[in-house]
Formats: sequence, structure tokens, C-alpha cells
Amino acid sequence: MAATAAAVVTRPIAPEQASLWSDAWRRLRRNRLALAGVIYLTLVVIVALVSAVWTPYSTFQVGVGIPYAAPNAHHLLGVDGLGRDTLSRLMAGAQISLIVGIGTQILVLAVGVPIGLAAGYFRGAFDQVVTFLINLFYGIPDLLVALILVFLLGPSLTNIIIAIAVTRWMDMARLVRGQTLSLREREFIEAARAAGAKPAKILFGHILPNALGPIIVQATFGVPAAILFEAFLSFLGLGVPPPTPTWGGMAAEGIVTIRISPAMVIAPSIALSLTLMAFNFLGDGLRDALDPRGRR
Amino acid sequence: MTPSTRADAAKRLPAPILQVKDLQTQFLTHDGIVKAVDGVTFDLYPGESLGIVGESGSGKSMTALSLLRLVPDPGKIVGGKVLFRDQDLMQISDEEIRDIRGRDIAMIFQDPQSSLNPVLQTGFQIAEAMLAHKKATKQQARQRTVELLKRVRIPAAESRVKDYPHQLSGGMRQRAMIAMGLANAPSILIADEPTTALDVTVQAQILELLADLNQELGTAIMMITHNMGVVAGLCTRVLVMYAGQIVEQGPVDQIFENPQHPYTWSLLKSIPRVDALRHERLRSIEGLAPDLLRPPKGCRFHPGCPFRVEKCLTDLPPLTEVKPNQLAACWVTMDRAKKEMGADQLLDIRPGAASGLEPGKIIP
Repeated sequence: MAATAAAVVTRPIAPEQASLWSDAWRRLRRNRLALAGVIYLTLVVIVALVSAVWTPYSTFQVGVGIPYAAPNAHHLLGVDGLGRDTLSRLMAGAQISLIVGIGTQILVLAVGVPIGLAAGYFRGAFDQVVTFLINLFYGIPDLLVALILVFLLGPSLTNIIIAIAVTRWMDMARLVRGQTLSLREREFIEAARAAGAKPAKILFGHILPNALGPIIVQATFGVPAAILFEAFLSFLGLGVPPPTPTWGGMAAEGIVTIRISPAMVIAPSIALSLTLMAFNFLGDGLRDALDPRGRR
Repeated sequence: MTPSTRADAAKRLPAPILQVKDLQTQFLTHDGIVKAVDGVTFDLYPGESLGIVGESGSGKSMTALSLLRLVPDPGKIVGGKVLFRDQDLMQISDEEIRDIRGRDIAMIFQDPQSSLNPVLQTGFQIAEAMLAHKKATKQQARQRTVELLKRVRIPAAESRVKDYPHQLSGGMRQRAMIAMGLANAPSILIADEPTTALDVTVQAQILELLADLNQELGTAIMMITHNMGVVAGLCTRVLVMYAGQIVEQGPVDQIFENPQHPYTWSLLKSIPRVDALRHERLRSIEGLAPDLLRPPKGCRFHPGCPFRVEKCLTDLPPLTEVKPNQLAACWVTMDRAKKEMGADQLLDIRPGAASGLEPGKIIP
């Protein structure tokens, strides 16, 4: 009896939610897959950073090993057709993937968020133009747009980021527009207007913070999509030009000789797949963590 | 100054701080034009507390929103003047009206739960109200926020500043909203049903707070409510609205004592009273709520009015002085209804029952 009373008393009282973000982080940590994603991605970032200053062998130096050599003690992931160390190139490839993935999303956010906010809040003619453009861009195949842009601008890291962002901005603009359309009717927006807040303040100070959850989730899902798109372009030979190592480019070089040296294809493919999976798990976890209805 | 002129000056009201003249707000809907505010005219005096009462859809909230040009789509202010400090708020630029909102005329809303931004700290939102009008530096704003929270009697104000709205109780949230409204020391505070979403004990506290602030700060309060009790407790003057028009206005004591418009009379009759005799039945107002899309001809209230006469069906009565300071828009008025139709003894309150004009029938 006394024991149960003590148990009741000592049961920890649910901590007061300090804020939306600490609350979301708490829930994200409980999601094992998302946590695994975070850990793996942290590792990828560290590898990418390390590769900028140190790799086992030079990434460009040809003939550091015997061409098409299988994985061995000196070359853990083998050697490619030009005698370059695959592990070193794989490490450096992480840089390109991350830069493309995150760079694209920064562009997408910079373009999609303000356009979506303005279209949803002001509506009228501007909204009609934006909606038309969104539908237009959805109508044209992504690959076609990207290929034409890369062809016109020339293949370089910056241009590829631009090309991918051009095929991806509509997702963000449409999401933010929808969020804004529903948020603008909320009473606290009317209260902000009644307090004399300027439109910019209402958009970025009141509506944006409320839409941040879905935006973060969308951006997180956008990163692997961009990485995959870049890998695909590289595989087609339209990506970041050689000799810069990219995962897609490495797989393309290896595919011809897959029977002789499968490691050349398998290594970048696994790195790519794991990275995509990690981002998707993280995105899923964030979606659950940031959804106010799933508050547990 | 001779004693007699001083007495005259005391009797005379000060110059109004806000003059609303023939305000017209309409909604263009699929089915036609809805006249939500239909020729509303009134004055607001400095430091007074004015009640605007009416049922849902009577146009009281739209009147308030129109003053600040905050009418939601597809509503439009199509006519009238709102004079504030020698300028017509309906004519000034968007930037100018924005400066007035929150600085000179503040507004608080019905549901404090949804009027505070859920993802921003409460104190931050109050400080922001000051910063929006460059009334203070960040440092000053933070300091004044705590003072304001104390002023609206939020306990442990220093620690509440950093709380998010969901961490406050309903009453505290409304106090925080009031603090935000008062942040720039406005000369007018419009309160749109500020107690409707709160439970009764908290309602009383909030009303008391508003009354005190009205006294201490001299802020004129425009109280929009459907609750006659709120008006009785807080206001000195009252406007009664029906179907987008003012049907009666005057000092609260006088109108509660002696309403002249049958609608006001019915409203007061429909309040449950503790001192009522047991057999006395609670009166409801007969007839339907007015259809603003197709308002009835003549007086808007005639389809539900027990005292209607022929003229009510055809001619819209103007708002005229029926007693000193008391205006009513009625061809009959309650004085006559009592004298000639026995309104005080009336048991049958169907439309037209007292006057005998097609009793019980809804005449559109």
C-alpha cells in the first residue's frame, strides 16, 4: 500500500513542453530510423569534410594502383580503370552529393518560400500567375528541363544546382502557398493586422514560423531527390564534369566493366542508396515530430 | 467664467474622439449584396465606454472591423466617413491606416486561444506590438512588456514573458491580449466579444480589468457584445444594432430602465432574471433572424415586432431623439406601445399581436 503510494508520488510529472522545437527534437530522438539517419548523415558530413583535406590517395592521381584491381589491403575498395583509388574518390564524391543536395534546397527555399507566401497571402493576379507557372513546370518533364538548362549553361557544379532547383521549386512554392492560404484566415493574423503589422512582418514574422514544420520536412525530402537527380545526370555524362569524382559518374565509369571489377559500381551505389535512405528516414521522422496532431 | 457657464460646460459632452457617419459595409456574394453595415452613425467620446449590442449577424463586429478597414473578403466598405483626429480613416492611405491600427486604435478579439500566434513567445508578441510602431527600443519594449503584464494582473509576470500561448490559461491569454492592445497606450480600445470564450468567473475578472483600465488610463473602450449583462457592468452608453442598423442608442441606465425600441425591449425581456416571478416565462424574440440578403421592406424588425403598425411595413424609421440623449429608430416607440397597446401586460408576443396588424404572420 505504502509502496504504491510512493510509486504514484515519485512518478515523474510530464515535463512542460518548453517549445515546439525542443518538443520535436524529443520526439525525433525516439524514432530509431530517423536517429540512425541522423547518425549516418553526420558521418557522411564528416567524411566529406575530411576528404577536403585528406584522402588515402589523391583523387585525381592516375596509376596509384593497378587498374581494375579488386579491393585489397592497400586499396580497400579497389582501383578504377585509370588506376585511381576508389575509396578516395568515394569520399570526395560525398562532397558533391551534399553540396548539390543542400545547395539545391537552399535555392528552392529562397525562391519557393517567398513566392508561395506572397501568392497565398495577396492572392489575386499574382497568385494566378504563380499557380499557372507551377502547373506549367509540372507539365514539362524534369529531365527535359534539366537537360536543356545544362546544355545551355554548360555542365558545372553551379549550373547543375541551378538546373535541379528549376525543376524542384514548384514543390516548395505550392506547399507554402497552401499553408499560407489556410494560415491567413487564422485569427492571430487578423489580430496582427489589427495591431498595425506590415505585410512583410505578417508574412515572415507570423505565417512563416507557423509553416516552418512542413517546409523543413519538404526540404529534407528534397535533398535526396536532388542528390539522385545529380547522380542520374552524372550517370548520363551530363553531371559535374570529370575528373571531379561524383557517385553517379563513378557508377557510370564502372558499369562498362562491372564483370571485371564490380566494386567500382557497388561502392558508389551503396553510398548513394544509404544517403538517400538516411535523408528519407530523417524526413519521415521530422514529419511525425513536427506534426502538432501527433503530439505525444 | 460665471458659475452658470461652468455648469453648462460640465453638462456638455466633450468633442468626440471618433465620429462615424453613415458607414456602409457590404458583402458581394454569389446570391447578391449583403448589407452587413447599413448606414451606421455614432460618436465615441474620449475615455467613455460604449457598448455595441446585437445578435449574431447584426453587423456589430463588421462595424468594428470597418473602422480599422479590416473587413474580410469579399466585404467592402462602400460608403461613409470615420473621422479620427481630423482625418477620414476611410480615405487615408494603407500605410497611414496601418500606423493608426494598434497605435491609436487597438483591437482585441473574441478567442484569445486563436488570437495569439501559437509559435511565438507571448512576451515577444507584446513587445513586437510596440516595435511595430517604433514606440520603444528593444530594451525598453522588453521592460514595458513586464510592466504591462503586471498591469493586466498576470501573476509572476517576469517568468510569464517567455511562455508560449499554450502554456497560459484562457483568462491569462485574454489578459495578454489586452496587454498587447494597451502596448502603445491607444486612445481607443475596441473589444470584440472579449469574454465570450471564457468561463463565467474569468469573464467577470476580465470585465473588471477593462473597467479599471478604462478608469486609470482614460482609454475609450468600444465593447462589442451580445450580452446585455456585460453592457450593464461595463458601459456608460450603448448602441443596439439590428440587421446592420442602429435601432437605439443612449445612456445605459436610461435604456435598461426605459427602452424605446421594441427590439431592445425584447432583448431585455429575454434576459433570465433572478428576481423574476416563478410563473413568468422567459421571452424569446418571435420571427426569424433577418435575412440580410433580402431585408424586409420598411422597418427591419417589423416581421417580429408585436407592436407593428401599417407604416412599419413600408417606411424605414429614422434614428430620432425620443428622450434626452436617447435615440430610437421606431415609428411606434415603447412609450406609445405601453400606453396604447398595454405592452407591460402583454403575454402574447407574436408579431403584430399587440397592435392587431395580422397577428402571428411574418410579413416580408
